[in-house]
Amino acid sequence: MAGKTSNVLQGIRYVILLFFSIFFLFPVYWMVITAFKTSDKWFTWPPSFIPWPITLDSFIGAGEVYRTASLREVVPYLVNSLAVSLITSALTVALATLTAYSISRFRTGGMRLLSWILSMRMLPPIAVGVPIYVVFHSLGILNTWMALVLVYTVFTSSFGVWVLVSFFNDIPRELDEAAYIDGCDPFQAFVRIILPISLPGIIAIFVISFAFSWGEFLLALLLTYDKYAQTLPVFIGRYITGFQIAWGPIAASGLVAMLPATILTFLALRYLISGLTLGAVRG
Amino acid sequence: MSGLKAKYYFILPIIFFYLFVTIYPFLYMLYISFFDYNLARGGIQRFVGIMNYLQAFYDPVARGSISFTAFITVTGVIVETLLALILALLVVGIKGESLLRLSFLIPMTIPMAVSGMIWRMLYNTTYGPVNYFLSFFGIKRISWMGDPIYAPIAILIMDIWQWTPFLFLLFYAGLKNIPQVYLEAAMIDGASGWQLTKSIRIPMIKDLLMIGVLLRSIDLLKLFDSIYMITGGGPGTTTYTFSYLIYQVGFITGINLGYASALSVILLLVIILLTTLLIRALKVERLLGGG
Repeated sequence: MAGKTSNVLQGIRYVILLFFSIFFLFPVYWMVITAFKTSDKWFTWPPSFIPWPITLDSFIGAGEVYRTASLREVVPYLVNSLAVSLITSALTVALATLTAYSISRFRTGGMRLLSWILSMRMLPPIAVGVPIYVVFHSLGILNTWMALVLVYTVFTSSFGVWVLVSFFNDIPRELDEAAYIDGCDPFQAFVRIILPISLPGIIAIFVISFAFSWGEFLLALLLTYDKYAQTLPVFIGRYITGFQIAWGPIAASGLVAMLPATILTFLALRYLISGLTLGAVRG
Repeated sequence: MSGLKAKYYFILPIIFFYLFVTIYPFLYMLYISFFDYNLARGGIQRFVGIMNYLQAFYDPVARGSISFTAFITVTGVIVETLLALILALLVVGIKGESLLRLSFLIPMTIPMAVSGMIWRMLYNTTYGPVNYFLSFFGIKRISWMGDPIYAPIAILIMDIWQWTPFLFLLFYAGLKNIPQVYLEAAMIDGASGWQLTKSIRIPMIKDLLMIGVLLRSIDLLKLFDSIYMITGGGPGTTTYTFSYLIYQVGFITGINLGYASALSVILLLVIILLTTLLIRALKVERLLGGG
């Protein structure tokens, strides 16, 4: 075999991979440097690609002219995002562990129930949003944390069941049976034996639910309308679509919105992939 | 067994929850889809039969949004699947694999609103880096968000950027899961690299390709966030997706929830059909197999 051709091929392989690695990374790089640029570097031609000197103005809102989106402004939305994501994740864990345990151990509801639950995750948010808007409007719970928690949990609990059923299936049934012999009923066996061993899976669905709620946009846009309940993505969406936007502060709040989601998704990547393929692939 | 009755108590919470948050609203939506229903004018107005459904097929904006959604779904799925497959095949076993893999995954972890914000800066006509890079090739400034030819491409590129990583992850994990002995056995028989790929690697991840295509199709048919963030459906209504149309009809321009409901019912039916295919491809019965 000609070593030359294989060297050339190897070179082409690297060129393609590096090109796409730049394609995937550059937009993130752009946001990060924009967040740290001084205001005179935001709008220049050619664009400035090296953020020097670095400034924290965009984060602390020191640039007096552009105070549109300094972190101080962002705080209420940040609090809403945190609260909604935490409550959604907790509710998801409660609903999904109970359901997944019953399905894994007793095949409750068979294929029909399982498919029904799994399909919930695929629902188009807009088709959920339209009737939910009307229902929540009449219940008077629009623009509350609860409105978002309730709709988000539809999607996250469905995914939680995906992940946890295969997780519980891997736990030997002998453990349950030993608990029954000791006089536990199914609920006690679940709480005392199964839950503690499933902690990694439970943490994973907590994290995945958190990242989902943290990043969701459309339902938050429909169901909330001011800083009393609106989350960070809607805040960002509202500002960037405005006219003549200060790039620094909006990039700074984007960075704040991105970091938790990115870190958490990477932590749960293994479960994300096995959840999506129902355990056919273990990441 | 003592679990016979208890097993139903375990699933009651989620059943009640779904009844309240999805089934009841969906039935209500089906009901109001036969009415001219405007929340601003208070309550149910007028029974209009299937007029709202007919309107979906005669309304030129709705027809435009259907063809744009079809366009973005078909091109997006094809490009993303091929690109993800090529990248996954190329990256496995190369020096620096873990670093490259990491860089390929980052976009899928970013909230869509944040990526929309980033791309809106990148696409900026006057100061955006995209037009700057193109200027090296003598290409004059392009109005990415305002031109009827380029706005759909802008949406497409952002989607490729954000979601190729997800398919990459799926295929990459599948390739990593192929037992090494298969590849070694074929190599002993004198198979070339291309033959390994064609007759072992790709067939082994066939199911994952199918799952990936279905998942992306379902997601692209619901595309909304990037439209809102980048083009706002414009110029005119060129980049209206079906979801964006429903948003406009129900909440912004028309505030006509009857028509929005009818459109939502149509979207829901399409998604349910695809989800049924997905659940079949996922071989869900496996989960109940262990008993």
